[in-house]
Amino acid sequence: MSREIGHRFPEAEFRIDPARVEEYVTALGVEPTPGYRAVPGAEVPPGFFMYVTTYGAEPVHDQLGFDMFRTVYGGTEVEMYHPVRVGDTLSVRPQITGVTEKDGRSGRLTFVELTTEYLRDDGTVVLVERSNTVQRSQ
Amino acid sequence: MVLHVGDVLPEVEAPKMDRLRLAYMAVSMRDPNLVHMEDDYAARSGLPGVIAHGTFVVSYAGAAVSRVVGVDAIKRLKVDVTGPVFLGDVLRTRAEVVDVEPAADGELLRLDLTVNRDDGQTVGRGEAVVVQRSR
Repeated sequence: MSREIGHRFPEAEFRIDPARVEEYVTALGVEPTPGYRAVPGAEVPPGFFMYVTTYGAEPVHDQLGFDMFRTVYGGTEVEMYHPVRVGDTLSVRPQITGVTEKDGRSGRLTFVELTTEYLRDDGTVVLVERSNTVQRSQ
Repeated sequence: MVLHVGDVLPEVEAPKMDRLRLAYMAVSMRDPNLVHMEDDYAARSGLPGVIAHGTFVVSYAGAAVSRVVGVDAIKRLKVDVTGPVFLGDVLRTRAEVVDVEPAADGELLRLDLTVNRDDGQTVGRGEAVVVQRSR
């Protein structure tokens, strides 16, 4: 377990599988654009990009020593630099970019910021996703 | 449709949260966290029952914007999840254009985003930056 700021996880590859996007849109029950269909070449809404989906929860949460009973998801920021399409294959690079501890009413709280870059083959960063989680000490 | 400061986008009313939606999201995300699946597990975290993935809140806020301007117009989406969402909750979005600044190929609009449960509690708060191309 290590929560060292700057820690980089090994790069992984993620293919934006149409089935995954379709399941996501089905879950929401709201189309990102009217008449949307998750077919190759379709736009991918920013909310789809979450390290859990694209990289896997276990390697990140194991590294961070997260106990799921005491972990709360705080939110996400997604910056989109270039269009991303269903069917694209991207390199995924998560990194620990922030660890802050605070004393709350219910004990110590640890805020962890994970920043994940998504790159094309040519090295262009197409999207950056920043997720915040809060771990309670009890 | 040209957007101006003060414009409020059409509200997105999400369908009532149910277990099938949580199951689809868990599968799409490959999320192993049982707090979204099993009431007993959620109870051990001190919750009255399963809670929805935070992704729902972030995504409904994003959908309120993308349904008007398109996905590719969104340059930035930031949503803080500020409260839990339970089975039976109906989420509604509010998106308002609050700022505009010139950009190379048009304008950059900033929108304030809020996602509320039907009991009035705010479960998401954030902002989006979208590009509005000059015509």
